[in-house]
Amino acid sequence: MRLQSFWASQGCVILQPYDNEVGAGTNAPATTLRSLGPETWRCAYVQGCRRPTDGRYGENPNRLQFYYQFQVLIKPSPDDIQQAYLDSLRAIGINTDEHDVRFVEDDWESPTLGAWGLGWEVWIDGMEVTQFTYFQQVGGFECSPVPVEIAYGLERLTMFVQGVDSVYDIVWARGGDGVTFTYGDVYLENEKEFSQFNFEVADTTFLFQEFADREAECMRTLEAGLPIPAYDSVLKCCHAFNLLDARGVISATERMAYILRVRTLAKACCELYMERVVGMEDGKAHEESTR
Amino acid sequence: MSKTRTLAFEIGTEEIPAFDLKNATEKLPTIMEQALSDAGIPHEDMEVFSTPRRMAVVVRGVAEETEALEETHKGPSAAIAFDEAGAPTKAACGFARGKGVSVEELEVREEGGVEYVFAHKSVPSEEVSGLLGSVLEGVITSLPWPKSMKWGTEHALFSRPVRWLVALFGQDVIPVSFANVGSGRHTAGHRVLSPQGSDIPCADEYEKIVRSLKIIPTQEERMELICAQTKAIEQELGADHEAVLPPKVLTEVVNLSEAPQALLAQFDEEFLKVPEEIIVDAMLMHQRYFPLYKDGKLTNRFIIVSNGDPAFADNIIDGNQRVVAARLYDAKFFYEEDLKAPLERYVDRLDEVVFQEQLGTMRQKTQRVKQLAERICLDAQIGDVESGKVARAALLAKADLVTNAVIEFTSVQGIMGSYYAAAAGEDADVAAAIADHYRPRFAGDDIPQGLVGRIVALADKVDTICGLFAIGQTPTGSSDPFALRRAALGVIAILESGVDVSLERTVEEALRIYQEEGVSLDAAAARDAVLEFFITRTKVMLKDDGIPNDVVDAVLFARVKEPVTIIARSRALRTALAETPEDMEDLSVAYGRANNLRDGEAGALYDAALFAEPEQKLASAIESARTSVAEALASDDYPAALSHLAALRAPIDGFFTDVMVMDEDPKLRQNRMKLLNAFIAVFADVADFGVLASAKR
Repeated sequence: MRLQSFWASQGCVILQPYDNEVGAGTNAPATTLRSLGPETWRCAYVQGCRRPTDGRYGENPNRLQFYYQFQVLIKPSPDDIQQAYLDSLRAIGINTDEHDVRFVEDDWESPTLGAWGLGWEVWIDGMEVTQFTYFQQVGGFECSPVPVEIAYGLERLTMFVQGVDSVYDIVWARGGDGVTFTYGDVYLENEKEFSQFNFEVADTTFLFQEFADREAECMRTLEAGLPIPAYDSVLKCCHAFNLLDARGVISATERMAYILRVRTLAKACCELYMERVVGMEDGKAHEESTR
Repeated sequence: MSKTRTLAFEIGTEEIPAFDLKNATEKLPTIMEQALSDAGIPHEDMEVFSTPRRMAVVVRGVAEETEALEETHKGPSAAIAFDEAGAPTKAACGFARGKGVSVEELEVREEGGVEYVFAHKSVPSEEVSGLLGSVLEGVITSLPWPKSMKWGTEHALFSRPVRWLVALFGQDVIPVSFANVGSGRHTAGHRVLSPQGSDIPCADEYEKIVRSLKIIPTQEERMELICAQTKAIEQELGADHEAVLPPKVLTEVVNLSEAPQALLAQFDEEFLKVPEEIIVDAMLMHQRYFPLYKDGKLTNRFIIVSNGDPAFADNIIDGNQRVVAARLYDAKFFYEEDLKAPLERYVDRLDEVVFQEQLGTMRQKTQRVKQLAERICLDAQIGDVESGKVARAALLAKADLVTNAVIEFTSVQGIMGSYYAAAAGEDADVAAAIADHYRPRFAGDDIPQGLVGRIVALADKVDTICGLFAIGQTPTGSSDPFALRRAALGVIAILESGVDVSLERTVEEALRIYQEEGVSLDAAAARDAVLEFFITRTKVMLKDDGIPNDVVDAVLFARVKEPVTIIARSRALRTALAETPEDMEDLSVAYGRANNLRDGEAGALYDAALFAEPEQKLASAIESARTSVAEALASDDYPAALSHLAALRAPIDGFFTDVMVMDEDPKLRQNRMKLLNAFIAVFADVADFGVLASAKR
């Protein structure tokens, strides 16, 4: 909440989580599509992220198949953005003067989105708590102006602030009467069930079909000239693919082929978005050659 | 000489990646030097500074004015420069334009009896302060970055965003602008130790001011400091403690802080049950901590290098300890999970890992390597017991790639497999071979210790090289993503260690196995390319050993393809050249002469009846050399073959002294040619002495 009000005070639109499965806050349209084009854009939102292969049946204190990111996207990137980020840490009770905060090189690339950027992972006393990236390309398009993305790992940050060693020990709420809800109370069962579902139960025939159907739906929607709904289908494809991956039914060679199919869709959405929404006629993707 | 001032220039940035910073810092003096001399600005020495957030250079004794120059350039002769009517020709115009003067200004003067045109130019002295802006802007754009980026609405490229510039010439600010950042005299401080930064009154005080901000402004100094602090911690713990600081990680740590502070931390001893290598990987690769050893054994203590405020060291240590505990908890969890199934169980899952897109998965590679390793065992006549171990190790060699521990901590590949194999009750040689088959992992690394490991390593590397060559993914220039060059050197070293198989045959086998598997390839072309690659590698290797290329070329002439043979022969030939230089030199001169004279079409079937004495002597020497050289080569005694050739020295010298090859009688001439051909033929299987002869001259 305090992160939200901090970034709201920096002029960001505070959005609610996107209501579609995403693997990272980056994949939500408020980041992916809005990174494109020349307009100024500032937003911040919490995003629940699903990474089926990261499930650990609730047995690992750090790894979850569903977790929260706090995502900030500002375009163009402001000059004092690093300082603003450090100030945001103060806002949530981390006195950066008393800790060792580092910006450690970490370049980001999303093969499925045809996107890449340069930046850092931010460490506090050795703990990676944030990804900090200047997008250079999204959906094959050069970003101009350049957006900066700040993705906080909320569980990690909270563990740091509360000084607990297991994510499940995080105190989520404590009532005046002493009734306490921990992260474990809220999500442990969820992690167990979803881990089992992702790794063992999810119907692969259904998922393969879903992928193909969503792919077709995406193209149909694109033909109707609607990039934003089409992008929803890209996200559905991604999630189906991630589940199939967790089920262990995608071989290495197929993997690349699936990633390429998703990328083709994502690029097509970005291209149409550029044409339709941004109004750029020369919406030709620059491919990765500019890298 | 005009008056001078000091120039201080600082580029303030967001955190630049450690290795890129190191590289750019090393280039900075050359770039500045070049920029100043291009602008004709006289200066004295310079000093370079860098931290993750700044790169700076201070140049002393920079002249306030450039020197005025009187330049005279000689041009074409007057006859060429002017036509008959006395008007300037194209040549004259071009010359004048090239020198930056008008045609009318060209002067004609006589030199050595000929009239030439001369361009005379006065370059006036200029104020350096007016030149520096563009010089410094040039320096910014000349810095080399492996990856650069844009930010905000700017189009300029740099490693990370540039946020401030300091440009001082003496006390004056030189206006410099880059990506909409203008220069000033304010430098930013350390993020927590001196966040307010400071103004710098004059260039001479740059270093002093930066230091007053508690920043250690050079890489060298930060490195020394970290090493000294580490030493102090070791000593405090007792003399038997030793921290390991790998150079790469140290470079990173040095360039991850502006004011490093080494701190001692520890983790729960419970985690020491996890194999040492994972713990070290977790600490070094992921967290850039330095592990501490006691009497060569890993302890539960480690060193972190902080960039924070030393006053809050306890906070920082505590935070880092929690991170390590979480990491090691993961490691322990992975390790214990992995141990729940025997290593063999993981082999099938290797079909989830691609080896190379066109060459299939690691599961397929495992199959091929096993098959090839078994073939090598047969060829090298390895006993059944050993062969069984080789096959087993080849089957299990890659299995750990799909274990949790290796997926998470990639540097422990092989090592974890070895632990898991031992835990699953595999033979000790098999377990050792799994860890070892990646060797040599870097230049100067040992080859696998045991025979089992060597054969698996050999098969694995030959398979990789053959596969990638077959699909045209050969190393080019600095690009060698599959480290094929290193793999080739590994293969050569293993063959040299006494694994007695033919490389050519092994390569053919490897390619055949690919074909059997359904990979379509041109086996003959791939074989030739692979063998050629090995020969080139062998040459490079021998050159590093001080054996010149011409010696190797002489040996290669005898169509040898096996690296081991090439190496042994090259060494023997070099020894012979060093020990009996006269024999060898003479022989190579005679060989060269014979080679020039011979007529390939004549054949070597001479008619002994036509010989005079010196010819007869040479002929019989050739006959006996032919037999003895063949015998020596058959028993792999190359030095003996060389000494048999050396025995030809006297007869061939005698022949050339006493016999006129180009006799007028065509029959005699023809016969002598044949004799020379026979002489040359003896060398064919040993070495091309002609290469040596021409190299001598």
